[in-house]
Amino acid sequence: MLKPILLVEDDKRDLELTLIALERSQLANEVVALRDGAQALDYLLREGDHADREEGNPAVILLDLKLPKVTGLEVLEAIKANPSLRSVPVVMLTSSQEESDVLRSYQLGVNAYVVKPVAFDRFVSAISELGVFWAVLNEPPPGSLKTARRNE
Amino acid sequence: MRGSRETGIIRDFSRLSRDPVAGAAPTVPTLLHPSPEHAASPVSVADLTACDLEPIRVPGAIQPHGRMLVLAADPADGSMPLAHSANWPADELSGALAELPRAMLADLVDGRAPTLLGAVRLGDRSWALSAHRSGAHLLLEYEEAPPEPPAGEAPIYSLTRVFLPRLQGAGSLVALTDLVASEMKHLSGFGRCLVYRFDADGDGEVLAERCDPGYTSYAGHHFPAGDIPRQARELYVLNPFRLIADARYDPVPLVAAPGRPGIDAAAVRRIDLSQAQLRSVSPVHLEYMRNMGTLASMSVSIVIEGRLWGLISCHDHDPRSLAPASRLACEHLGQLLALQIQALEANRSVAERLELRRLTMAIVARLSDSDATLARLVEPPAPMLELAGATGAAVVLDDQLWTVGDVPAPADIRLIADWIGGLHHDVHATATLADGLPAAPDLRRVAAGVLAISISQVHRHLVLWFRPELLQTITWAGDPRKADAAAGDGRIHPRRSFDSWVETIRGRAAPWTGAQLGAAAELRQALIGIVLRRAEEMAQVAAELGRVNKELEAFSYTVSHDLRAPMRHIAGYVDLVVESEGARLGERALRYLAHAKEASAFAGQLVDGLLDFSRMGRAALKIRATETAALVEDLAAELTRMEPGREIVWSIAPDLPVLQADPLLLQIAVRNLLENAVKYSRASQPARIAVRAVRRDDGDGLEIEDNGVGFQMKYVGKLFGVFQRLHAAEEFEGTGIGLANVRRIVERHGGTVWGRGEIKIGACFGFVLPRRTALEGSAVEGGGTTHA
Repeated sequence: MLKPILLVEDDKRDLELTLIALERSQLANEVVALRDGAQALDYLLREGDHADREEGNPAVILLDLKLPKVTGLEVLEAIKANPSLRSVPVVMLTSSQEESDVLRSYQLGVNAYVVKPVAFDRFVSAISELGVFWAVLNEPPPGSLKTARRNE
Repeated sequence: MRGSRETGIIRDFSRLSRDPVAGAAPTVPTLLHPSPEHAASPVSVADLTACDLEPIRVPGAIQPHGRMLVLAADPADGSMPLAHSANWPADELSGALAELPRAMLADLVDGRAPTLLGAVRLGDRSWALSAHRSGAHLLLEYEEAPPEPPAGEAPIYSLTRVFLPRLQGAGSLVALTDLVASEMKHLSGFGRCLVYRFDADGDGEVLAERCDPGYTSYAGHHFPAGDIPRQARELYVLNPFRLIADARYDPVPLVAAPGRPGIDAAAVRRIDLSQAQLRSVSPVHLEYMRNMGTLASMSVSIVIEGRLWGLISCHDHDPRSLAPASRLACEHLGQLLALQIQALEANRSVAERLELRRLTMAIVARLSDSDATLARLVEPPAPMLELAGATGAAVVLDDQLWTVGDVPAPADIRLIADWIGGLHHDVHATATLADGLPAAPDLRRVAAGVLAISISQVHRHLVLWFRPELLQTITWAGDPRKADAAAGDGRIHPRRSFDSWVETIRGRAAPWTGAQLGAAAELRQALIGIVLRRAEEMAQVAAELGRVNKELEAFSYTVSHDLRAPMRHIAGYVDLVVESEGARLGERALRYLAHAKEASAFAGQLVDGLLDFSRMGRAALKIRATETAALVEDLAAELTRMEPGREIVWSIAPDLPVLQADPLLLQIAVRNLLENAVKYSRASQPARIAVRAVRRDDGDGLEIEDNGVGFQMKYVGKLFGVFQRLHAAEEFEGTGIGLANVRRIVERHGGTVWGRGEIKIGACFGFVLPRRTALEGSAVEGGGTTHA
């Protein structure tokens, strides 16, 4: 069983586009999409709405920087402060080019930081390249499993 | 005020070059020196510097034109004298003792000048008795009274009644001293009367003179300080009157009274004669007088605020005494003159200080009105020079230098500034720079004198004033270098020649006055105040800049994050449509989608461009002549297309101006204003939007008016702030940066922006940008400009 990819994104269009990009990257993992930082923490800590989920950490967390309630940076901080979550790779996905955000993210221990390109084709390739992380970590047989996540 | 004053004249002959010009003067030594007095030491005087140490107050002898009795001040000590002069006939001594005015003697106060107690007959002659108390002694002096002046008003009353009003009418020092010389000569009957003052070095300068035929004039001459030892000067302050009736006299010693075994010769020599009229003077001084051919001399001290300001000095070729009443009048005349001089100097000092204060205030006011940089101090017309009576001035701020007037070379100014900075004086003045800074090159033609104020304890921040040397020509009554010449007999003699001797003093500037030093100190205080206030203002500006920068960061963050996302979405969905449905779409639809993709890419560029602009802050504006007519038409058409369901009535003036602006930024500003007009007029049917030209003195611009929801004028200030919104997000979409953006762009161009509104009536926003010349345009850009 492959570990899932946790995607935290509040903007529904970004969510949709990111899911499409992930689909095109031929990754086998299930994608869990959450809409704010509080939910993400509940999921990771198996609290609140996600108290009943199966045990286990996601393969990777794709985290939008600007999230309602609890921001991406706060989520990142909580993850890296938690011994059982610290090893989970976190990729910041954001529109922001702010140097202070990049700096702060790296200070908090982010594994990668991706500024979403405006052009869609470049966006897709950027998301695909993120596969390196979980491909190495989880060693999934390439192309072994394809789950249908098409939003059609 | 801290700081040293070196305004004095230096009497170091080795440094100042003395150029004897002429020795032309009478060869007949008929002159009387005004008032030198050497130590009354006994026969051998080893050298003249010892004069300063000689006990001239206790000579142990008197002049022979009178007699002295010394009694114990303690009445319990009996009536027998302790000592008396050796010139009493025995019978007259006992007669005098029998007629002592004991009640009057008991009233004498220690330290006071002698009091005239009246006439006493001794033998067949009348004697004037005066007495004073000195410590444990009562000193009684008997002077043979010369014939009293003709009967009538006593001289002292005449002096007060007639002369004083004339004295008060004299408006200058010259007029004052001239009057006094004349009056003193008249009162004393001496052959010549001089009024002179001592300068800071102690040299005497003759200010006024009256003399009979046969006396050589010394008007304008100087007498070297060395003629009067320090101790004699102190005595002149203590006892303002001194008479030598006959320079050929033999001193009469004081002797211990018989029958007083407690008194011996040593005790007699300790009797203090400082205040005594008959005190015997130094034999050296008598020789000095005789060298000048004068036999009688009299002097009255001019004492101002405890300082020996000068002397009124009278001489006669023949022995001469003075009636007590005339002597009192002479003393009084000296006091009157001192008071008048003091008043005159005080008035002049006050007037000078007032004038300098006015100048200081003018300088400070001018500085305060400008950017308060110290360099402005030396901008013409520089009242700085007038303030200190200087011919050149410099402002030194560490390595920076500004000057006005005649100043030394920059390297020399730095040398002076380094030296003065190292002294750590708030105010420093010197009239002879070469003394303090011998290493400096010869600067006396521009900077023989320097006045400096230090503005900072930490930095080398100085204001300097310069004065050139003042060539001084001094006519001495005799060559002062020969004053101490030793004769062949092994002892020191006073100089024998009083011939005019002219010297020229070089390397010395006119001394800085007390008022000028005060003004400099006051200016320093004011400058420090200004500098401190300026530092505060700078700190405030820095804080404001920091705040603005933070706002800018927040702004750029939002632009970066929030505006890029929608662009990405458009691009993404357009791509998805083309990918998934492209085969089924017609050529027209594909063209539309291509436009949409281009538009989103362009929008992304706009956002990124704006982001760069806000992030870099100082990015150069690319000013071009920009046609607003086309710009507005395009934007109106675009906005109309974006609101297909609405009826918008555009009223665009035909004469919209060509503005000197960065086209990209201007487009952003105008788009914002038009979008706002469209957005907030959503509820109006139809929406009416008018675009008009604005032409004002300060520039050209646009004004956009709508008939939308409007706003309350009390919020107009908030409208232009970043992220300020007056409406709920559900009601009107938007981030609230639009008008802030407009203001930033307009102000970046040096223009102004405004807004007017009324609830439910509508709003009107406008701006003007300054007209620029091509030159200004390129200056703003920092490079060449291509004007359309």
